[in-house]
Amino acid sequence: MNSYQEKNDLLAKSEFQENLDVLREVYFFSEFPLEVLKVFAYLCIREKYKEGDIIFSQNDDDGRAYYILSGQARLSRSHENKEVLVRTCGENTFFGAFTLAGMANRLFSLTALTNTCCLILTREKFQDTISQFPDSRQYIIQGLSDSIISWEEKYLNENINCDSCRSIMGVSLI
Amino acid sequence: MEKKQSVVKRTLFSWVSSSSLKLQASLILIAIVMVVVCVFPLEMQKRIVNEAIILKKFDLLLFYCLGYFLAVSAASALKYLSIIIQTQISQQVMAEMRKKLYSHIISLPLDFFRKTQPGLVVNSLVAELNVPSNFVGMAIAVPVINILTLLAFAVYLFYLNPLLAIISFSIYPVIIFLVPILQKRANLANKTRVDLSRKLSGRIAESISGIHEIHGSGAYCIENNKFSNLVKKLLKIRVTWTRYREGVKVTNNFFTSLGPLIIFILGGYLAINGRLDLGALVAFLSAQEKLYTPWKELIEFYQVYQNATVTYNRTMKYFDIDKVYDIAPVDRDTYELTGALEVKNLSFVTEDGIRLLTDINISLKPGEQLALIGFSGSGKSTLAKCIAQLCKYSDGQVIVDDKEVQALTKLDVVRNIGFVPQEPFMFQGTVEENLLYSCAAIHEEAGKSPATCKPGLDDMVRLLQQTGTFIDILRFGLSALISRDHDQELAERIIKVRRKFQATFEEDLEGYIEFFQDDKYLYHLSITENLIFGTPRQKSYAGESLLNNKIFIDFLNQADLTRPLLKLGAQLSEQTLDILGNLSPNPALFEKSPLAPEELDSFKELAERLKRTKLHQLTKEDKDQLLALALRFTPGRHKMVALPKMLENLILEGRALFKDTVTARKPQDFISYDEAEYIFSQPILNNIFFGKITNSTLHVQEKINKCIVQLLIEEDLLDLIIEKGLRYDVGSKGENLSGGQKQKLSIVRALLKDPKILIMDEATSALDNNSQSRIQNLLETKLRGKTTLISVIHRLDIIKNYDKIAVMKAGKIVEIGTYEQLMSMQGVLYELVSGKK
Repeated sequence: MNSYQEKNDLLAKSEFQENLDVLREVYFFSEFPLEVLKVFAYLCIREKYKEGDIIFSQNDDDGRAYYILSGQARLSRSHENKEVLVRTCGENTFFGAFTLAGMANRLFSLTALTNTCCLILTREKFQDTISQFPDSRQYIIQGLSDSIISWEEKYLNENINCDSCRSIMGVSLI
Repeated sequence: MEKKQSVVKRTLFSWVSSSSLKLQASLILIAIVMVVVCVFPLEMQKRIVNEAIILKKFDLLLFYCLGYFLAVSAASALKYLSIIIQTQISQQVMAEMRKKLYSHIISLPLDFFRKTQPGLVVNSLVAELNVPSNFVGMAIAVPVINILTLLAFAVYLFYLNPLLAIISFSIYPVIIFLVPILQKRANLANKTRVDLSRKLSGRIAESISGIHEIHGSGAYCIENNKFSNLVKKLLKIRVTWTRYREGVKVTNNFFTSLGPLIIFILGGYLAINGRLDLGALVAFLSAQEKLYTPWKELIEFYQVYQNATVTYNRTMKYFDIDKVYDIAPVDRDTYELTGALEVKNLSFVTEDGIRLLTDINISLKPGEQLALIGFSGSGKSTLAKCIAQLCKYSDGQVIVDDKEVQALTKLDVVRNIGFVPQEPFMFQGTVEENLLYSCAAIHEEAGKSPATCKPGLDDMVRLLQQTGTFIDILRFGLSALISRDHDQELAERIIKVRRKFQATFEEDLEGYIEFFQDDKYLYHLSITENLIFGTPRQKSYAGESLLNNKIFIDFLNQADLTRPLLKLGAQLSEQTLDILGNLSPNPALFEKSPLAPEELDSFKELAERLKRTKLHQLTKEDKDQLLALALRFTPGRHKMVALPKMLENLILEGRALFKDTVTARKPQDFISYDEAEYIFSQPILNNIFFGKITNSTLHVQEKINKCIVQLLIEEDLLDLIIEKGLRYDVGSKGENLSGGQKQKLSIVRALLKDPKILIMDEATSALDNNSQSRIQNLLETKLRGKTTLISVIHRLDIIKNYDKIAVMKAGKIVEIGTYEQLMSMQGVLYELVSGKK
């Protein structure tokens, strides 16, 4: 019995409904009106990666946002021909609000550490949807600035005593 | 060797003399005979009245009537024959004019095309040459026939009565005076019409080319207004033109109609006085009336001549631009250069006086590699084009070996320089035809057969692999359908691959492919496909026509599927409308919807009815609509509704029932999926899988490709599939290819002709990281030392290994040297690289 069947039998929910539940939990999407979220949820795709598969690569503009539904992935950055581990990402991690907003080359690579399943929304579909609901553009900016501020707030709380960190603090001032 | 006169310098009459002289001579002969047979009935008329009727001789009446009949029949036959010959001449001339003008146009400098809309060229070649070529067809025949006829009638009229003849001819000088005045005005209007028609064609072509921008900006009103203004102007000028043109005809008609009036007055007076017999008066009136036809045709001919001259001159004048370069060398062989490049004090100024390049100096030894970098608008592409002879530089020199590029013929340049643009163009045809395009062109221009440039498959495969195009070609090959009649052996070999594929890779590819198995539901097939589980051979089992197929409907009832499917249809409709019901019909948003955008309205109405009615109370049409929706439901694609387990089991039971009943009873209607049988309606890839891909993303594709290549090599089928891939149709403007595929094919196209200098103008901008690295690797290893490379690059991470880097700013080279030199100078490159970091 494959995972699709299992889901149908146990949860009796469509993939669309599951996607909708996920998106409502994601910071970037949570403020969008329900009618827009429904379209996002319908347009999301799921992709499975096996251990060692590259999910996205540094310097590529893959134009997709990812939400890890299951599994673990390694976020790394290649620097002077060395691969530096940034952190390990597990279930419920979301990447890609900036990618959805506009073209941006990846600064990191993400590689599956175990069998991983991601929920994916492409920039093209995201933008197509936004053009159908022009009023919802405000939520993109709001979502991005909220993300930056909450990130910096967390960073400040954790590193305020770190002398070398202070010189790069203030991303939210941009 | 005498240079041929350019088509745009030729006069309209030169086409008359170069048209088929045999046909023109036969027209003159026909004209002479026609004159005789035209005058003959007049004489018969006179004799019928004077000899047969007045003398009451019935046998003479019959005899003269027979003569009249024969003359009229011969005149009609000859007229028809002359029209056929004229048409033949004008069509031949039009074909020749088109070929020569097309050949001239495509060799015009690129600057011309930057300012010219394609529609204008199309209009000139297709529409505007009609009138001039029609004129050439009639240029000899019409005046000869009509002037001779006119003269013959005139002589006959003098023979009947000189006084009456002189009087009846007195009106023609008035016409000859008035007509040119009106025609002059018609010509002026016609000139404007030709220009406006050309502009209108250009506007249409521009709108169609920029249709994405129009849709993207919703600029329908702007475009409609622009178009309407032109149409209005064209309407106005066409009305004016018609007014003068018809004015010529009406003036002519009016004056020629006055002819009989004069004859009635003077001829009547003479007849009453007995100085003119009645037969002669009748014949005179007839002849005078018959003068009208040749005269009218002459006036029309005059008008056609005027229109043709205006249209022809206007068209040819537009394209009368000197070719900047000769196509091929005349008295020597094509140069074989080594690729040493010297750019000295090069400047480029546009026609508007804008200076794009200033004092550029570059020196490259054969095989050296130069990266041109800089901000957009710094002149990198212009410089690349100047070196490739695609832009005519204003000052300075580009010297390859010891030859000035401006002085080379096109054949010298294409033989020695390969140019890969950022947005390459693909012509409708196969991949192979596009790859061999440049190479075949060189062979053709050099007088060799284009087929001789075809490299061996191994060489081609090596180059395809080096450029990363191999996998694309393989994919094209795997998407081919093969023929039951011609490829039976290949089909059997693919079935062998299929068995091996499942046995070897089932585990590796789990989750990426659903294999066809009798007892397994396939989530990436529709419900219909899951039920039939094979390929229908009859239209009545395909698509929506299933609902009109009684056997299928009975089967659904027998399998207890009708009601659950109706329920599923209603659920699908409700959910889809909830998500997409209020969106405007953007096809990209409906890719995963079971409802097409155009079906939304009818399903909305059905949803309203469903609110008031129970499912079983719906009309047959409504039920059919829901059933059709449910039958196309593909759970792997349409994710808004989950397929209930109970229904899934029912469908699997239904599949078995269908096989035992319908397929067993009508084996000729289906080909069931059978592991031992090739499915000719499906591409090779699906036949190898014997299943359906559930995920078409890049990383999955790469995995599957790897497995397939391994198997195809093992089974010695790779070459065969690659050959099929090379025969893949790229579509109009390469619409079946991605931007990256076009760029890769364009690089292979340039490399296949083995140029001594390769110029790449941001030629890898649409490629992903892997493909870009592969191409870079090819340039740095295989080409270094053999081909001089000039590469316009926007990515700074791939320039390190170039022999020289030239940094451009505002049309000047501000730095040139190796990567290390420039970085240690801490100049502009350093700033650019640091900025990137």
